[in-house]
Amino acid sequence: MTAAGPDTAPDGGLMRVPSERIGRLMDLVAELSLSVAETVRSPDLVGLELSHFETAVHRLMMIVREVQDAATDMRLVPVDDVFKRLRRMVRELERQTGKKIEVVVSGEDTQIDKMVADRLYDPLLHVLRNSADHGLEPPAERLAAGKTETGHIYLSASQIGSEVRIVVADDGRGLNRTRILAKARERGLFGPEEEPEPSALWKMIFEPGFSTAENVSNLSGRGVGMDVLNTTMTALRGRILVDSTQGKGTRVALHIPVSLAFLDCIILRLGAQLFAVPIEVVSEIARPGTDDLPKVSAGGGRELFRLRGASVPVCRLEHFFDGIDSPPRPANAPPQVIVVFQTAAGHLAVPVDEILDRQQVVMKPLVGRLNRVRASYGCALLGTGEVALVLDCERLAVGGAVQ
Amino acid sequence: MTPQPGTQASAAQTVVTVNHDVDTIADMYLTFDLGEEEYGVNIAGVTEIVGLQRIMPIPDMPRYLRGVINLRGKVIPLMDVRLRFDMAERAYDERTVIIVMEVDEAPVGLIVDGVREVRDIPPGQIDQRGQMGRNGSRSVIAGIGRVGDRVAVILDPSVLVSDDDFASARDAGTA
Repeated sequence: MTAAGPDTAPDGGLMRVPSERIGRLMDLVAELSLSVAETVRSPDLVGLELSHFETAVHRLMMIVREVQDAATDMRLVPVDDVFKRLRRMVRELERQTGKKIEVVVSGEDTQIDKMVADRLYDPLLHVLRNSADHGLEPPAERLAAGKTETGHIYLSASQIGSEVRIVVADDGRGLNRTRILAKARERGLFGPEEEPEPSALWKMIFEPGFSTAENVSNLSGRGVGMDVLNTTMTALRGRILVDSTQGKGTRVALHIPVSLAFLDCIILRLGAQLFAVPIEVVSEIARPGTDDLPKVSAGGGRELFRLRGASVPVCRLEHFFDGIDSPPRPANAPPQVIVVFQTAAGHLAVPVDEILDRQQVVMKPLVGRLNRVRASYGCALLGTGEVALVLDCERLAVGGAVQ
Repeated sequence: MTPQPGTQASAAQTVVTVNHDVDTIADMYLTFDLGEEEYGVNIAGVTEIVGLQRIMPIPDMPRYLRGVINLRGKVIPLMDVRLRFDMAERAYDERTVIIVMEVDEAPVGLIVDGVREVRDIPPGQIDQRGQMGRNGSRSVIAGIGRVGDRVAVILDPSVLVSDDDFASARDAGTA
């Protein structure tokens, strides 16, 4: 009964194209760019003087880049498409719950990959249903609590770097800590004496089959909704953040990468390992002087990077990740370069051996055994045929906690 | 350290393309060598067999997961089956190949000493089918196939790729 029916598009200038067909084009464009790079860097060409060829290659590369951009753009749609469908559902929810709900939308022009947009509707609908069904109080209860009779759901989207953040907030009663904690303990997720941090506790509502609603309505409370959200967000390499204040409301934020296909990255080398970092998160690249990396013994030998008077925490990838070979650097090796990342938790300084290149990479998800790599979105296929690990700097900043 | 295959061309070189024939596939096994022992996997999961190529390391993996290769735009993690079974490490040579498989909907490449043949092993010639590991988990050994006067240890790819059975696999591998 979800409003999955196709929206009618009377606009004469628009064409409806199945997303699989665009997906196929994207795959081909990705293969094309890899294949062009492979041809151009063929070892057979080494040492040859090919001036006309070089000119043609330059032009070819530019065209490939434009084709990539055009293909990526083609897949970007405003989130408004999803928001409109959700708004329509809210009217339905008002009828079913007998509550008065006003939806306040902002940032609906934010562009997002169509593939992502297509998969966002169901999980977002579940979040909205939860707000409408459990979050917002009936009119009488709201008035008694000194609130407006009409409940509000704030639906907003914004782009921050290469991420789109979609927030569903309500001004309802908030999550019930006592009840969620009791349920989590009953299911053995926390010990009987354990008093988890709010953010850790709220995450429990995403556990499969976790529902504390006393009445299972036809709207929600069957414990399947949040699980849908969790599964989809993992598939989209997104993150979920929940915040709630008793009596004031609940805020669910989804952080999702804008595009799933190409990523504008800089490529870093540490030992034999290549890393790719989305260009938007790089705030600065610096060469440290000899006194710029003091160790803090009281902090377990943690290093700090002095950057214009400020101290930035240092994360050494060879310590963070298991199994990175970092042979002792020869005395005459050029000094390491420090890349400073901009994350939600502040700046993070990461020393690397070398910065290789800036390029649009094709990203492949980490499937099978590879999903155990922490703090990575996926593997990037480089023009050289090499594979780099795409760093998720947010998770790097929080110590690689599995999200 | 990691025996790098050196200067081999990065272009995938297909040695064998497995032809899938639905009628007989259930009893068909690709057999390969690990040291003196012969092992086999059902060909249903085998996609292709490629020569060794440049392996790129990936962190956060156990030692037997050697890294990944880029096989025509697909990123494939490689498992060194010798290391998986705690056998002695051995430098890769011209016989070393990668058996590319699709296991539980994810690609994986098995690095083995060399492939032998694809052969028919009917259920009647397979002993000790579906044995459990010592700790009650599924064993990595799906059965022992009799091939003429030799035996081929038939592996369960799902168990091989996961390491849930690890303790029991270690027992079996060193026995």
